[in-house]
Amino acid sequence: MRMTDELIEQNNNKREDLNEENLAVYEDFLVYVRTDLRIDEHASEEVLMDLLDHLLEGQQYGKSAAEVFGSNPKAYADELIENLPREKKRSSALFAISQVAGLAGWFSLTYGIVNVLLSLFKPVETDVSLGHLLSLLVVIMGIGFVGVVLFFKIIRSTLFKAKKKPLGGYVKAGLAGAGAFAVMMLAIILIPEFGPVISIEWWMYTIGGLLLLAASKIISSFSRK
Amino acid sequence: MASRSQLLKGVLDACVMAVVEAEPVYGYELSQKLQQIGLPDISDGTIYPVLLRLQKNGFIKGEMRPSASGPNRKYYFLTDSGKKELEEISEEWRQIAAPVSELLKRSGTQ
Repeated sequence: MRMTDELIEQNNNKREDLNEENLAVYEDFLVYVRTDLRIDEHASEEVLMDLLDHLLEGQQYGKSAAEVFGSNPKAYADELIENLPREKKRSSALFAISQVAGLAGWFSLTYGIVNVLLSLFKPVETDVSLGHLLSLLVVIMGIGFVGVVLFFKIIRSTLFKAKKKPLGGYVKAGLAGAGAFAVMMLAIILIPEFGPVISIEWWMYTIGGLLLLAASKIISSFSRK
Repeated sequence: MASRSQLLKGVLDACVMAVVEAEPVYGYELSQKLQQIGLPDISDGTIYPVLLRLQKNGFIKGEMRPSASGPNRKYYFLTDSGKKELEEISEEWRQIAAPVSELLKRSGTQ
């Protein structure tokens, strides 16, 4: 069996041989299939590779992507997705956990570094209540989840359009990002301090962040087996 | 149009299995063969959802092999349960094909 990563890399290389017109159709198709998180990743990459091979071979005989995918590529993609095996629950769960750990890791790392920089100018409050910290973590996870779903939705809405308007997508994604940041800031300010108070130095955030990022990477590699 | 493609969809699974049974093929070859046979409304891509469905049901199996034109391709084989399924469909087809075409021919000319 070909490994998923290998397939993705092969796909990246082979795709360069598509002509401009075919590439445009194929890449929309590729992103549409890859941003569908319900389906098995390995099986999707296999069929994406089959289709790429097909396009490349057809291209030699002057066949266009429109002839291969039919007049409605989105409907065709939906038909393919419908017939692909579903992602296993275990690997979806591991994927979600790895994303949460990664997000918390980046946050903790950034927070640690910001604290160091701040501490150069003024003493930094290291006491934090457990209730506040955990609530914040839940809020971040929520934002992360909604963010990913929204982001994929925005990407998918820009696909299969005769006239590309990528600017609209950027503006929407930018607004979503700003919104997420605002919610996070509000949460930091509004969530009251409660529960036992612990003291966390900046280096604990940094090390904790690094550990979480490492854990995220390891878990994510398991989710793809 | 819609009804025609619905009808074709049902038959296409069997056609794909029949081609694969005769000789293992990869995607591009398969679509060319089906078009050569003369089936209407087969765009190249039509076969891939069918291939996925047949694999899911365990009727065919894909395997990487070097192709005649050089690079490795995923060739499809009929499995044992695929052979059985194809036999059953063929038998069913034999039973309905002649009477149905006779019936439709008559009602078409009236």
